[in-house]
Amino acid sequence: MTATQYLLATLLTPLASAALIAFFLRRKGVLASLVSVAAAAAIFAFTVLAIPAPGESVVASWDWLTFGHFNVSMGFLFDGTSATMLTMVAFVGFLIHVFSLGYMADDKARARFFGGLSIFMFSMIGIILADNLIMIFIFWELVGFSSYMLIGHYLDTEEAAAASKKAFIVNRIGDLGFLVGIVYAYWHFGTTNLSEMQGIVAANSELISATIAALLACGFIGKSAQFPLHVWLPDAMAGPTPVSALIHAATMVAAGVYFLIRIAFLFPESILCGIAVLGTCVAVYAGFCAYGQNDIKKILAYSTLSQLGYMAAAFGLGFPGVALFHLITHAFFKALLFLGAGSIIHGCHHEQDIFKMGGIFGKMKITSITFLLGVLALCGVYGFSGFYSKDAILIAAGLQGNVLFALLTLGAFLTAGYMGRLVWIVFFGKPKSEAAEHAHESGLTMLLPLILLAVLSVAGGYMSLWPEQLGQIIRDGKDALHHLEGYDAMHQTVLILGSAAALVGLVGSFFFYGAGATEDRLEKKAGPVYGFLKARLWFDEIYGYYVAKIQQRFANLLSVLDIFVIKGVFVRGTAGVVGLFGMCSKSLHVGNIHGYVYWFLLGLIFFWVVAIGLF
Amino acid sequence: MEHEMNSYFLLAAILVPMLAGVMALFGGRLNTSVLRSITALGFGVPLIIGIYLFCNFDASLVGAYNFEFRASTGLESLGIYLHLGLNAISLPLFLLAGVVGLAAGLYAMNANAERLNLYLALLLFMLSGLMGTFASVDVFFFYFFHEFALIPTFIMIGMWGGAGRRGAAIEMTIYLTVGALLSLLGLIALYVQSGAESFSLLELRNYLLAQPLAETVQSNIFALLLFGFGILVSLFPFHSWAPKGYAVAPSGAAMLHAGVLKKFGLYGLLQIAAPLLPAGGEHWFSVIVWLALGNILFIGLVTIAQKDLKMMLGYSSVMHMGYAFLGIATFSVVGVGGALLMMVAHGLSVALLFMLATCIYHRSQTFDMSAMGGLATKAPVLAAFFVAGTMASIGLPGFGNFWGEFTIFAALAETETTRWIVAPAAIGIILSAIYGLRAAANIFFGPPKPSFATQLESESVVDMKPFEKVPALVLVVALVLTGLFPRLLSDNANAELSNIEVYKVQDTLPHHEAIALPTKEDAHKEVTH
Repeated sequence: MTATQYLLATLLTPLASAALIAFFLRRKGVLASLVSVAAAAAIFAFTVLAIPAPGESVVASWDWLTFGHFNVSMGFLFDGTSATMLTMVAFVGFLIHVFSLGYMADDKARARFFGGLSIFMFSMIGIILADNLIMIFIFWELVGFSSYMLIGHYLDTEEAAAASKKAFIVNRIGDLGFLVGIVYAYWHFGTTNLSEMQGIVAANSELISATIAALLACGFIGKSAQFPLHVWLPDAMAGPTPVSALIHAATMVAAGVYFLIRIAFLFPESILCGIAVLGTCVAVYAGFCAYGQNDIKKILAYSTLSQLGYMAAAFGLGFPGVALFHLITHAFFKALLFLGAGSIIHGCHHEQDIFKMGGIFGKMKITSITFLLGVLALCGVYGFSGFYSKDAILIAAGLQGNVLFALLTLGAFLTAGYMGRLVWIVFFGKPKSEAAEHAHESGLTMLLPLILLAVLSVAGGYMSLWPEQLGQIIRDGKDALHHLEGYDAMHQTVLILGSAAALVGLVGSFFFYGAGATEDRLEKKAGPVYGFLKARLWFDEIYGYYVAKIQQRFANLLSVLDIFVIKGVFVRGTAGVVGLFGMCSKSLHVGNIHGYVYWFLLGLIFFWVVAIGLF
Repeated sequence: MEHEMNSYFLLAAILVPMLAGVMALFGGRLNTSVLRSITALGFGVPLIIGIYLFCNFDASLVGAYNFEFRASTGLESLGIYLHLGLNAISLPLFLLAGVVGLAAGLYAMNANAERLNLYLALLLFMLSGLMGTFASVDVFFFYFFHEFALIPTFIMIGMWGGAGRRGAAIEMTIYLTVGALLSLLGLIALYVQSGAESFSLLELRNYLLAQPLAETVQSNIFALLLFGFGILVSLFPFHSWAPKGYAVAPSGAAMLHAGVLKKFGLYGLLQIAAPLLPAGGEHWFSVIVWLALGNILFIGLVTIAQKDLKMMLGYSSVMHMGYAFLGIATFSVVGVGGALLMMVAHGLSVALLFMLATCIYHRSQTFDMSAMGGLATKAPVLAAFFVAGTMASIGLPGFGNFWGEFTIFAALAETETTRWIVAPAAIGIILSAIYGLRAAANIFFGPPKPSFATQLESESVVDMKPFEKVPALVLVVALVLTGLFPRLLSDNANAELSNIEVYKVQDTLPHHEAIALPTKEDAHKEVTH
């Protein structure tokens, strides 16, 4: 098989798996889950086989639709960047599939869940392989759909129904800009093929358009849940925990960042700067929000938002390679944290409130140890993967000597703080509920992914351990950083500050909250502060008010206008005509089908006779 | 005129359902199973013929018609012949009529309507008229078959309609009659003014190409056709018949009317009005754009306010017509091609949704979405089909509707003058997501409303039965086929549209000199390692 065929197999295997499950295995949960896991394994195998040699790429393209000069093609651009991303997605995806075998074992709708995972893999792989903007958009919408489907998995709950709808609609708002950007780009560049656009821009940099770049970035803002469209991500935690790990932490939300990296050449300085500021603000904002949450998954969701902000900042600072680096390491440790949380939730009989846990460490040793390794990676402790990627972002910000550096460093302190809070409360002290009392370690299908992800979370940051074919863009990004003036000094500063952040956060939270606390000390000591953090700047309230009180009322008003003005005045204005018609038709309205048919035939004959000229 | 075998198939696609209808109408004493077979034949044959002709379609006959059939009618003095044929624009709609006809028929055959044979007969007449409309080359018969299909619609609403059918049926009748009359006036004016002394679309086209009409004449006739056809397609603000009419229409009539018959107006615009009266199109351009934006934005918001499922579907169907109008208004190959895809895909998705609405009603005994909830637990397959239909209708890739919408957006961005329209028109994708997903959530997800909880417990609430699944599957498969392989329709249509001179194609794409574009051959070759 050629590399192209392997890529096609990578893309189509999950689609076939989803179709098989939807049509034949709907009631056979066990078989469906095995098919889906086998598909995930096959994806990883095909991906590995398709990886091109360093510096090479696999290109293929087929016409999908043509009208005039508007041509859409389905094509692959499988270069080092997409190979890196795809390998990560395939591997993490596979582990999460395996984890789900155990986690979803009792679920009645297992077939739907695993079918959904397969559709998701299909869509996600499509985004990664796509060689043009239109194809990216197509799969972009499809990941939105699979996300909708999986968030709404527990479909009889109000929460899931609302969250799935919200996620899809909020994403569509971002996609509106994305869509307009694509069609503008098509006629601006004459193509949306990534390599062709890059060639055009390289030949004439004046063609870079801030409008198009800003519009395309809207797609990123929606998918990666950046301000002001971040509100859907915390709600998306209503989905099953493996879904949160796969879609809402490791892969789909990161697809927004990946998309930016793919089209980095289209961005002018002004838009880059905007993205850097945006990302930094989200990094800090979400860090604060996490302190007001008691649901273990929501804390991790805000942490994801915050880390996505770091990636956006790295991209905006001009280091797409560094952004990809953090994307990959984050995928490892955040998937680990979510799966660990899933394992705990599973062990505690679906308890998610951290203040009802406590003492987990003694009861779930492997889960706890792997989870703690993930925490250390997230906090950027020296030697862990998160340290290397976050370090690079902070250096990049520091070397540009601006306020972003201060904010991103603050974000690092916040991260260690809220993770410390979670760790001390959940793992130590005494169990604070019946559920936590009876917590039990999870089975092997759930522990094995945790262990593998823990290994990656620790070692994933050492680029020398990576295969040569992968991560060239990351090495390039780091090299570029190295060659900047003042790198060494800044490296020292960041090392000290970063370590201080981790130390202060983790230790400080121990002294503030205490191990196994039964209630939030911040809430007790400084209620207004806690309330403020919990309110998350009232975004949900403002949007909720807008939707219910402004948009809906406006729609209702228009609906009334439609009935009374358009129908009333336009139509009733011709009431005389209506009345006349009514009277005539009434006399014909004999309510008997034969009557109608005879009238119809009579009229027909009459017309024909007149037309032929017999009269 | 010598006819090849396939031409008779075209005639058969019209006559078989008509004859089956007659037999159903007068065969009340026939054995039920015989009657069933006859009606099944009537509903199935057009699609089989459609697929057969699709496979034998010769795309190289650009500017002409495949499978031409011409018979004398006694009206030669007026230049009227029963002239049938298919080109790349009518073929997709001919197929659409076949697919929706089969689905509506299969569903209706198992519905427990009173006087079922009459209901099926009317549906068959409607299908016959639809096949005729899209197979007609002769403008007179194009119009005649439309009326032939329209009349059963009124009767079906009048006899089998839901609550409030009287008012809705009268309003719909008046609107559609006025629309049809206006367009008839336009067509006659075209016939008279052209001086071609023929109703044949081909002859009219050739004649007018050689000697175009004066601009004012073109613009006046175009106005008649625009508003006449526009009323039939529920162009804003002439739409108010549609939601109400569909809300009370029985499912078969709603499926065939909203799905197929409504496309008659758009088909008339893009096959007759626009190519023959380009100056008229230019003159009315901004009016079309503003009214179409009215369809998308105004009606889109009105759709959000609906609580009744069928009213919501009716309004959403009105809204989506706005895209098709915008596509045609661009007068470009891209835009008209997009409109064509939109028409086909929308026809499939709206027929699916109207059918599912009836399936839902049979389980919930209400169309009030705010009084349902949680139906998915009892009817997961129904929920899956409804979500699929909704996703198709709101333009999710993978379904044909996406290509229609996306191509139309691309067409709007093509020229400087229409570029601004993209953004307001694209707001529609948010509006449609809001009402579509809200409907799905209100009906199927979350806990049931208290009033609905007891209803949901009852034994009668079961998942979809085979007679409901099969027609739904037919429509979903067609939607997915157009979504995955749009070239099935677009390649032929592109050749045909590019040949119509008034449909612009930009001479060159920008910046193509800057890069070495791979040629077609290169594109298929892979470059590895």
